[in-house]
Amino acid sequence: MHWSAWTARLALVSAFAIASPSAAQSPPAGVNPTGAAVLAFQKRVADYVKVHRQADGKVPSLAETNDPAKISEREVALGEAIRALRSGAQPGDVFCEEVRPVLIKVIHDDFAKRSAMDRKALVQELPAKMALTVNMTYPSKLPLATVPAKLLRALPDLPPELEYRIVGRSLLLRDVKANIVVDFVRDAVPTIPS
Amino acid sequence: MSMHPLHLLSWARTWALAGAFALALAPVPAPGSQPAAATRRPAVGAPGASGETQPSRSKDSVRFAVIGDSGTGGQSQYDVGARLAGSLQAFPFEFVLMLGDNIYGSERPQDFVLKFEKPYAEILARKIPFYASLGNHDDPNQRFYQPFNMNGKRFYSFTKKGARFFALDSNYMDKDQQDWLARELEGSHDRWKIAFFHHPLYSSGARHGSEVDLRDIVEPLFQKYRVGVVFAGHEHFYERLKPQHGIHYFTSGGAAKLRAGNIRPGPLTAKGFDSDYSYMLVEIDGEQMHFQTLSRRGQLVDSGTITPEAVNSSSQPGGAEP
Repeated sequence: MHWSAWTARLALVSAFAIASPSAAQSPPAGVNPTGAAVLAFQKRVADYVKVHRQADGKVPSLAETNDPAKISEREVALGEAIRALRSGAQPGDVFCEEVRPVLIKVIHDDFAKRSAMDRKALVQELPAKMALTVNMTYPSKLPLATVPAKLLRALPDLPPELEYRIVGRSLLLRDVKANIVVDFVRDAVPTIPS
Repeated sequence: MSMHPLHLLSWARTWALAGAFALALAPVPAPGSQPAAATRRPAVGAPGASGETQPSRSKDSVRFAVIGDSGTGGQSQYDVGARLAGSLQAFPFEFVLMLGDNIYGSERPQDFVLKFEKPYAEILARKIPFYASLGNHDDPNQRFYQPFNMNGKRFYSFTKKGARFFALDSNYMDKDQQDWLARELEGSHDRWKIAFFHHPLYSSGARHGSEVDLRDIVEPLFQKYRVGVVFAGHEHFYERLKPQHGIHYFTSGGAAKLRAGNIRPGPLTAKGFDSDYSYMLVEIDGEQMHFQTLSRRGQLVDSGTITPEAVNSSSQPGGAEP
């Protein structure tokens, strides 16, 4: 089942759970822990989107332009505004502790279904090395490696402000318009035997 | 010695055909070597600015050019850009499809000049629009660059005289895009439906190969809603695939980068060209689509006609799938 439909149903169950003070720590009986982890992640994603929109309101709006300088200036300005609003952001703020093993499992399961040739082709495309920090600008010289369509289907949905990307063995959450790394999970991609 | 003009034309055609045939049989150079056409082969005939560009057939047709993996800012991009502009004389195309990797490397304002505006200055000066799709080397914010005509969208569609074009972002085929594509295709009743994007669903390239993941998701939609022709890049060569499930697939990713000798001819390949840079010219004339592929040196690499009978015939064998 697709994550969005699945989590929507779970949300009903979780509405009861949220009423409980201990709900944030561990899901109550009857709640799938994976679903609860995804819900926790989506809550953090929604919180980030609020920050993004707040920052977006502080910089000039962007329409189509003939002047590429305006596009890059806007991208930089939005990135700076977001950094200012979440200056204390740490790895794991969005990819929270509960969801990390879920995401890693999704990626491992996806890779396990692929042929050796497919895995090799996929890994070959990935930018290999990049020192990752939260809020950093994604280097424009590095390609934005394709996220395989079937893997995207298996990962929790994201709003249009955000996208998943893979660099080396890390899963990234990237702000599309600001071109910044919002969060990352190290060692999410399995090693490929040479 | 003088020659009658008709004889001269016939002689030129024969020589061009011989050249094209020789290209098809030419030994494939080792990866990383210089393009064979630049070092081993003299230019076929005496190509002028338009080279061996075949003239357009009708004033009322839809005429367009196709370039892929173009944005290096290197000499090869400028060479192809000049040749493309030269083709306008014989084949006045009305717009250009870009198959992604529109701006490689850094995307500073000056990069848009060096890697797009200057190489295609002559075409841009004639107000011929470009329609871009995003490659894995492209910042998705390119969609706000007006000369790419993306209207701020990662994926979009447009219509030209009864032909509907669908630009996809094959880097990130999320649910939103899949839903959009299904809606757009369902709502289109155009005679020709043409998709263009970066990653080839079928490829004989040794480097990347077919994008099976993407194919499993979008090809059923293409079949269901009768998409007839698909253009992709990513592989730095030209390949025309044997029709798959009634769909005609072209890979044209050699407009500035070349992966020489990378095609591994197999059951998929109808025609491959990986010994020089290339671009395509396409004309939709009612029930027929004529295509031609030209090299940086103006040589006619491939040409043909696609008819509606050959498009979307679900009984057509799917061919080999790697």
